[in-house]
Amino acid sequence: MLTIENLHKTYHTHTVLHQVTLELPLGQVLAVLGRSGCGKTTLLKTVAGLLVPDAGSINWAGASMEAAPPRNREMVYLSQEPLLFPHLSVFENIAYGLRVRKEAEVQAKVERMLQELELQEHAQKKPAQLSGGQRQRVAFGRAIIFLPRVLLLDEPFASLDAQTRASMQQLFLRLARKYSITALFVTHDVKEALLIGDRFAYMAAGKLRIYTSGEAFMEDPTTGVRDELAFWNSINHKITNLP
Amino acid sequence: MGRKILTAILATAILLPFLFFGMLSVGQAWFYPSVLPQRFTLANWQELLAGQSELQVSLLLSVILGLGVAILSTVAGFVISREIARAKYKNRWLLLAYWPFVLSPVVLAILVQRFFLLTGMSGEVIGVLLGQLILAFPFAVIFFQSFWSHEVLQLEQQSQTLGATAVYTLQKVLLPLARPLLLICFFQTFLISWFEYGLTQFIGVGKVKTLPILVFKYVNEANSSHAALASLLIMLPPALLLWTNKKFIFRGI
Repeated sequence: MLTIENLHKTYHTHTVLHQVTLELPLGQVLAVLGRSGCGKTTLLKTVAGLLVPDAGSINWAGASMEAAPPRNREMVYLSQEPLLFPHLSVFENIAYGLRVRKEAEVQAKVERMLQELELQEHAQKKPAQLSGGQRQRVAFGRAIIFLPRVLLLDEPFASLDAQTRASMQQLFLRLARKYSITALFVTHDVKEALLIGDRFAYMAAGKLRIYTSGEAFMEDPTTGVRDELAFWNSINHKITNLP
Repeated sequence: MGRKILTAILATAILLPFLFFGMLSVGQAWFYPSVLPQRFTLANWQELLAGQSELQVSLLLSVILGLGVAILSTVAGFVISREIARAKYKNRWLLLAYWPFVLSPVVLAILVQRFFLLTGMSGEVIGVLLGQLILAFPFAVIFFQSFWSHEVLQLEQQSQTLGATAVYTLQKVLLPLARPLLLICFFQTFLISWFEYGLTQFIGVGKVKTLPILVFKYVNEANSSHAALASLLIMLPPALLLWTNKKFIFRGI
């Protein structure tokens, strides 16, 4: 289980993370909804070990991650941009984490992952030859192939068009269930949060609010779920009243 | 047609000095109004190729200094520019890197000469090497700033979260990405050292005789054939560089 307690981070005088506390059991996806600049990226990067918190603790299965460098945390950060290694082929990008760990059967594992991602015919292509959605799929495959402890997803589908985004969300759900992925999934899209999350949280001005249930998340007016539902209801009403 | 003429003009402009200095290095008794020298001899070239001639020593010294400056400044420039790119006050550090160029090499040479005298490095090869690094190292630091973009720094972080050590990231990600820039920087800093005169003269106090020092010496002695031969040797590395990159250089014409 990932346990974060009273995580605090400031830049100059601006507080970016304010006593953030959460618990994330194995195989669960916590969807964190929040607007731009609310501290979501800082939270994920701090958990990944890429930023140092001013105070608070991050524990995995009871063990402190404080002294662990990013490479030893097994917590992969995935940003909005796929950040593929441009000089490596799709195959080598996906194999990267396995090669780092000197794992056996790299060929077979990568081929299986390519099949899962429906990218078999693109294995030898360079990232520049792929579409945005394909690149994001490669990044996703590269992150989960060695089964990390936690996936830290920072609005991973935000730069994709609606159709590709929907197919990526389905792919994520399928693979998250298959591999029992534990993930912190940050998004500013209400629908995406509802679709992806097993648990829900809302972040504003560095403060994280965890909800006890999906209903509680939907009922809270600050999350904007009710506004979203009202909008779609009004559209539905308009359509049904058309002559 | 126009492209061919332009290529011919450019090739002539590059080759003509070689032809002229080549002729001067083998010619003897070349007086006005003769179009060609009255006698030809390979004595200067034989002197270069055989025995411990001044030119041979100078050529070797220039190559060693050039390689030393190129390797040290490229490696140090790559590493330090990364630290500057990640630093909180990036621009302050970069300002320091511009300092030697703002002062001009001659003024810089006068300023640092006392330090080299006090440390006993004046007139020594190590002193000249350090002196040339004062110019080549900041050049490399500024040069690599374009490489350490936000994207590259993010790729480095990505590699770390995927479990890679700093060394693995360097080998598998950073060096392959930086390879073209590393090569260019290596050649450029080699050429900075290869052509350097002011700092070398000041710090070397005439004892460290690199090829540019020797050219000026021969010119002052009115030894035109030796000066021509030394000039040919100086022009060789950039000519090789041009030759290896001819595809790119002549393509845009």
